[in-house]
Formats: sequence, structure tokens, C-alpha cells
Amino acid sequence: MSQFLDMGGYAFYVWTSYAVFAVVLLADYLAPVLRRRRNLRDVRARMARQGARRRNENA
Amino acid sequence: MANWIPTWLHRLGSPPTFYRFAGAVRPWALALALITGAIAAYGGLVLAPADYQQGDAYRIIFIHVPSAWMSLFIYFAMGVAAFIALVWRIKLAEVVAMESAPIGAAFTFITLVTGSLWGKPMWGTWWTWDARLTSELVLLFLYLGVIGLFHAFEDRRQGARAAAFLALIGVVNVPIVHFSVNWWNTLHQGSTVRLLGPSHIDARMLWPLLTMMLATKCYYVASLFGRVRADLVAMESGKDWVKALAVEETA
Amino acid sequence: MTVSTGAACAALLRRDLLLAWRRRGDIAMPVLYAVIVATLFPFALGPEEALLQRIAGGVILVTVLLAMLLALDAMFRGDIEDGSLEQLLLAPQPLALMLAIRIFAHWITTALPLIIISPLLAGMLHLPTPVMGVLVVALLLATPLLSLIGAILVALTAGTRRSGMLLALMLLPLCVPVVIFAAGAVAAAQQGLPWVAPIAWLGAALVLALVLAPLACAAALRIALDA
Repeated sequence: MSQFLDMGGYAFYVWTSYAVFAVVLLADYLAPVLRRRRNLRDVRARMARQGARRRNENA
Repeated sequence: MANWIPTWLHRLGSPPTFYRFAGAVRPWALALALITGAIAAYGGLVLAPADYQQGDAYRIIFIHVPSAWMSLFIYFAMGVAAFIALVWRIKLAEVVAMESAPIGAAFTFITLVTGSLWGKPMWGTWWTWDARLTSELVLLFLYLGVIGLFHAFEDRRQGARAAAFLALIGVVNVPIVHFSVNWWNTLHQGSTVRLLGPSHIDARMLWPLLTMMLATKCYYVASLFGRVRADLVAMESGKDWVKALAVEETA
Repeated sequence: MTVSTGAACAALLRRDLLLAWRRRGDIAMPVLYAVIVATLFPFALGPEEALLQRIAGGVILVTVLLAMLLALDAMFRGDIEDGSLEQLLLAPQPLALMLAIRIFAHWITTALPLIIISPLLAGMLHLPTPVMGVLVVALLLATPLLSLIGAILVALTAGTRRSGMLLALMLLPLCVPVVIFAAGAVAAAQQGLPWVAPIAWLGAALVLALVLAPLACAAALRIALDA
């Protein structure tokens, strides 16, 4: 196992490469997921504001 | 006879339909990308034998080459979407073109970093002005230009159309840059070390490479669809289907 | 009453050159900038003649490129602000042709002075005299190419607020081949190698750009100003 992790002495280069690959793609994947949730939350907030205004006008 | 294909494509072009379609496809694409990626990583890191010249350092190839491939493939895909967006003014094509750019830039960045991490033990330097590395760097600037121009406009659609035009100019530019950089390299007798010679590649090394290429392609679909969904919600925030969606997601 | 295309071209060229002449100080700015940059190199690298000689061609090309980039932003700026660009868009004459005239006028007022002083800069950096001719030819072919490519990008950013840094970012990938071939020709001439091939490539690219760039510029302008 430690021989596998050592990568014939190139552990730093090989594992850093794979880590960069994983981290960059993970960030790329999560960013729009969060953005979509935020956008939907904004839509809900606006709908709530509009609903409140309409109720005030009716009252 | 096969009239349903154009009809289906036409329907798919409407934002709510595509939103649902992308939502249905995305988990499968992501699952496929993760499974094939894991298999490829296992094959590349464990099963494939060490290279007789480069030892274990060559294992970076299994992410470096698929990323480099994707950086060009996504640029091409962006160009096609940009062309459709400009000629037929399809809103969805604009979104696809603009949301492809950050994914392509991410793959280009990965290619540069892994290439540098591979070059250090093999060439003894982090960076050399080799034709391929230089072309890849120029490609990154092309992506950044498209992203930058898109965000410089206040109006999203106008920005998307201007950036799509720039992307199309870039499609013409990529082969010209590659040709000129090759010429430049022969003039200045730059580094001639090749990481990937024309030598034949062992089958035990080849299949993880091809599997990883499949994984990155599936990942592109998953990431792109996620991005397009986020974008459609923002663009159509005033429409009824988004409002219904917002209510639905609270419940 | 419609004006013939030729007369419209002549009128536009005369107007642009007249406007540039009335603000002569602006023409001097890129030249001054190029002189300053070229002067800084010996200070940064040391006055050793052999070193300066080796880098002279490349330094002058990059300097000219940066000076042109500085002036590029202003290509349509005034016309957008006073609305004359919209008039150009609506004019019955072909827009691409009118834009080609504008680009030509812009090249005369910004690039030509730079080419004229380039032998002076080359002399300051000890570029051998026989190479001077190749440098001027390379600049004569490379600067119109940069003006034409730059015009497309300026047109694309016409609808945005600030564009200075963005313009540089967009221009870099497109000007790489131009810089490579122009500097390559000078370097080849300096080493006594045949330099006609890169010059011929530049010439071919210029012919292609002369036909395509005004059309692309017109399309870009229509996209960027389509409100």
C-alpha cells in the first residue's frame, strides 16, 4: 500500500495532479448547483414581496 | 415519416422543457462519469504497469490527455452552439455556448497544471515554451476573453451574442495559433522533449486512457446541464414555470 | 438624394483625418509611449550592446503592439458618444466598406507615426542597419493586421462600459500569430536566414483580413449595438 502511495518516488507530482483534477471539477460542478438554489430563493423572495404588496393594496 | 425528430428538437429548445430534460439526464450523466472515472483511475493508477522510461510519473497522462482533449472538444462544442445562436437566434444555444466556456476553461487550467506537474520531474522544469503548452495557454486566454466579454455587458442576451461572435473568431484562430507556434518553435530550436512520442502504447495503458476520456465527456454533459438549469432559472425568473418551480422546491 | 459610395468614402476619410488633425496631441501619445517603453529596456537590462541587439526586433514589435492597443479603445468611442456611429449603421452605403475606411484612417493616425519612428527606436537598441528594412516591412504588414483584428474586438465591446483591460485579454490570443511571424522575420534576417517566408505569410494574412475583417467588424457592431 505504501509502495502504491509512493508512486515510485513521484508521489507529489502524481497525487497533486489528481487532486487538482478532482478539486477543480468539483468546484465547477458545485458552483451552478448553489447558483440555481440562490436564484430560486430570490424568485421566492420576490413572490413573497409582491404578495405582501398586493395584500396591503387590498386592505 | 420521421417527423417527430424535428418536432422533439423544437420542443426541447423551449426553456421549461429543456430544464426538465436536463434535470432528468444530469444525475445519470454524473453517475456514469463517476463510475467510469473511478474505473479509469483504478486502471491507470493500479493495474497499468509503470513506464520503462518515466516510471510512475507517466500516470499523470490518464488525466492530462483527457483534459487536453476536452479543452479542445468543448471549444469546438462552444463554437457550434455559438454559430447556432447567431444564425437562428435560439436562446438555449446562447446559454449552452456561454455555460460551456467556464467548463472548457476549467479543463484547460487542469491541462496546464498537470502538464506542469508532469514536466517538472521529466524535463526538470515547471514550464517550457513547447508548442503544445503554448497553444494550450493561448486557448485559456481565448476562453477567458469569451467569459470576460460575456460578463462585460449589462444585457445578458446581448453579451451572449457578442461573446458567441468572439468564440467563432477563436475557432478560426486556434489552428492558426497552433501552426504559427509550431513554426516559431522550429525557428528558435525550443525544447524537443516529447512526453507523448509516436511510440506504440501498451493496451493496459490505453484502456484507462480511453475510459477516462469517456468519463470527462459524461462529466461535461452533467456540468453543462447543471449550469444551463441554473441559468434558465435566472433568465426566466419572471415566468410562471419558474415561479411554480420555486414554490415546488420549498415544499 | 443619395451620395455615391465613392464620394461617401472620400468624405468619411476626410472627416476622420481632419478630426485627428484637429487633435494632434492625441496622435503624439502612442509615439511618446513607444519611445518611453523602448527607453526603459536598456535601463532594465543594462546597456550591453550584444544583448540589446538580440532583443531589439522583439522589443520594438511588442512596444508598437502595446502603443496600438492604447489607441485602439478610442477607435469608435467618440462616434458612439455623439451618435454618428448609428448614422453610419443607417447609411445606405455598405457598412463594411465605411468601416474599412475608418480602420484605414485610424491606421494612418496611430500606426503610421509608429512605423516612421521605428528606425529611430531600432537605432537606440543597436539593431543592425541592414535589418532595419525588414523591420519596417514587417511593421507595414503587421500593423494593419492588428488594426483590422483590433477593430473587430473594439466593435464587440462597443456596447460595454469599460473595455480597456478586456480588450487586451481578447486581443492577446489573436495577435500571437502576427507577433510570431513579424518578429520571426526580423530574427531570421538578423541571423542571415531567409526571411521572405514569414513576410509572405503576413502578407497573405493581411489580404485575407482586408476582405474579411471589415465584414466581421460590421457584423460585430450590429450585434453589440442591437438594443
